Amino acid sequence: MKNKKNSATAGASPTHSEANSSTKSTLTAKRTPNVSELGTSQEVTWCPGCPNHMILAAVKQTITNIITPPNNSSDQQSDRQAKRPTSEATDKLLQKDFVITTDIGCHAKIFDYLNLSGIYCLHGRSIPTAIGIKLGNPNLKVLTFAGDGAAYSEGMSHFIHAFKHNADITLILHDNQSFSLTTGQPTPTSQQGYISKASPLGTFTKPFNPIKLALASNATFVARTNARDIPHMVETFTKAIAHKGFSFVEVIQDCLIFNIEANGKDKLMYKIKDNTDVKTAEKLADEFDYNSKSGKIPIGIIYQSNEKSLEEKWPQLIKQMNKE
Amino acid sequence: MRLNITIGGKAGQGINKVSQILSNVLAKYGYFTFNYRDYQSLIRGGHNFNTLSISDEPIESHDAKIDILVALDERTIKTHKQSLKKNGITILGDQFKNLGRNQNVALAGSLTKALGIPLEILEKEIQEQFKESAEAIKATEKGFESEKKLHHLKKLKNSPTILSGSQAIAIGAINSGLQLYVAYPMTPATNAMHELAKFQKPTTDNRQPTTDIIVFQAENEIAAASMAIGASFAGKKVMTGTSGGGFDLMGETLSLQGISEIPLTVYLAQRAGPGTGVPTYTAQADLDVALRSGHGEFPRIVVAPGNPIETIEKTSEALFLAEKFKTLSIILSDKHLAESEFSSTLKPAKTPKFKIDRPIPGKDLVKNSSYESDEHGNTTESYTLTEQNVNKRIQKYKDIKEYIQNNFEMIKTHGNKKSKNLIIGWGSTSGAIKDAIKNLDAKFLQVLYCKPLSPQIKKEIENANKVILVECNATGQLGRLIREKTGIKIHNRLLKYNGRPFHSDELKNLLIPMLK
Repeated sequence: MKNKKNSATAGASPTHSEANSSTKSTLTAKRTPNVSELGTSQEVTWCPGCPNHMILAAVKQTITNIITPPNNSSDQQSDRQAKRPTSEATDKLLQKDFVITTDIGCHAKIFDYLNLSGIYCLHGRSIPTAIGIKLGNPNLKVLTFAGDGAAYSEGMSHFIHAFKHNADITLILHDNQSFSLTTGQPTPTSQQGYISKASPLGTFTKPFNPIKLALASNATFVARTNARDIPHMVETFTKAIAHKGFSFVEVIQDCLIFNIEANGKDKLMYKIKDNTDVKTAEKLADEFDYNSKSGKIPIGIIYQSNEKSLEEKWPQLIKQMNKE
Repeated sequence: MRLNITIGGKAGQGINKVSQILSNVLAKYGYFTFNYRDYQSLIRGGHNFNTLSISDEPIESHDAKIDILVALDERTIKTHKQSLKKNGITILGDQFKNLGRNQNVALAGSLTKALGIPLEILEKEIQEQFKESAEAIKATEKGFESEKKLHHLKKLKNSPTILSGSQAIAIGAINSGLQLYVAYPMTPATNAMHELAKFQKPTTDNRQPTTDIIVFQAENEIAAASMAIGASFAGKKVMTGTSGGGFDLMGETLSLQGISEIPLTVYLAQRAGPGTGVPTYTAQADLDVALRSGHGEFPRIVVAPGNPIETIEKTSEALFLAEKFKTLSIILSDKHLAESEFSSTLKPAKTPKFKIDRPIPGKDLVKNSSYESDEHGNTTESYTLTEQNVNKRIQKYKDIKEYIQNNFEMIKTHGNKKSKNLIIGWGSTSGAIKDAIKNLDAKFLQVLYCKPLSPQIKKEIENANKVILVECNATGQLGRLIREKTGIKIHNRLLKYNGRPFHSDELKNLLIPMLK
């Protein structure tokens, strides 16, 4: 069959050894020359005062803490280094071991502002793409950024399944209760009655409670933090990254332009102790309904449990983790 | 020499077992077979049948007219009586009802006798298949005694191997070193997933898997394609697979592939649509969507093998090209190719081996984006960069085209190569065409690459006096593609779109008056 080559395909059989060496003209994976800095020179286009600036700062601080070798620290830095949380899970990580996936939305612009490997994904798909990265290389440390619109509307099935898969990924979810990049339409966590250009009659539906949903989906790590509290974010992100399994961190943030009625929840927030009890977690989750501002908003580790992650279950992935 | 046996019954009665045993017996006896599986989307009841076609030379199709009908129920007789040739016979399953599970083995015995094959060949096959074979051997004897020798098949020296299109996808993928297959179940793509999944387990003789492939079931096709992109980015050889509706869901990810240039290979097994359509039946109606799915303009490769050997070859080529050009490769198959069992003595061509040596995370700093991006991988909205990037993608397709033209088989011609009657077809329909034109004054041009399309096609059409297009769809999608690329409209068309593939005898009867 193969021998009866048509004249159209006449020519030497492929010289496959050169297949990869001749790809330079088409090789378009982008490389950033300077890997020592966590930031980039990209113009930051978040609104002045947007809490996303603070989330970016907290992420940079968290990663800097993790990747700075303790013995390299000068005396002045020793204070900060002393406070640096240590964990076996993150001890040997370098900047190049971090990979981010971001969704689409205001939050996702963080992709351009972080000098880390990653994929700027399609709307709603940052979670499954991140799981794919872990299936591809379980030794990478993957952070996923998503907004409330992206993860709970377009990507809801992925959000729920992420807890079931329990891949070792940290989801940082920017929740401002609004689709802000598209000028303020309601998201699944927008309060009932929210009037926007898309909903002039007011939003009829009640918001989801993602924390309850996560607990119901057998989450192994659920946390909430405040975008205006950088130290709390750093502490929470650090614990989330150290967690073996899928860690979900909800960051409550204001949008200064759209759905401003939902803003100003800081005064309702109070810090909790790290919790590992399911019943307590359920009670904590119930305290804030995303709809009214009457309740209290607990921040901190709402729930953490120890279960094998996806990478620890698949023999093929265990083999890869041991190799590198 | 050609014989056709139809074995029919309700789902769950084990008709596949009969044709499987008999196919193996025939392979041992040196004959070529082709097994067509016609089944409904249900687990119990209904009417399912297999048509096992037998020949002393290679075949890749079945006939409509049959020599032997094996009926496991009344409905089979009613449905297939009119297909039986004048001197054809019917073998009833009922006579072996008391044998329970071994009813099918007994029927294989009856068929072995009717074909004139010695009993010991069947017994050998049974011993290989069953651990506890004593009861089954008795059943073969009962079946063998029940029939008269109707045909007198002489032992031949061929030793063909039997493969389905789904098995071939798995073999091609493993040959190329596939490391991850992510999918969501959908007929008729699922069997490839099952075949690949087997590679994760120790073999029956307890040998450890020779590959570290992961077969992962995602929550839907969007997740499957997104995970595939993620793992490919991380530096692995990856493939995803689906059928019509699932492929629609993957559309956005194909588009993401176009801009992010993260290599992606998709196996698309067509079935009769639109919508849920006729899920367990065949069609070649998704060529259009394979060529166009995904918004924006970006390069892609669409290969369409016609049999398992070509499937092994084209799967490897698709994976090779996706990585080499950081592009999208689509392997277009269908239910007829994926689930029919072909026997062949041919060996696939040497696998185009490759390694992943692009920058990967963990080793390098790599940024890929769904946005148009600059040299650092960061977002750009600049009109100059946008235009530059578009031009790069256009140039990339030119490079792909040139490479494939110089290195891979894009078309094949079969039959009478000097004939001025040219039949054009692709994919699983190729089998019926090849068998139908034996002894006819016709040349068959089989299209293996639908994108890029071989420039040779235009020359072949120009050299012919009569051109006939044969496809399993209602609008002649390959014909339209050829018209788009060559400006030539093919007026003579044989199109079948009832979910069933062409039978070779049916096609021959349709072609004869057209060739006059």
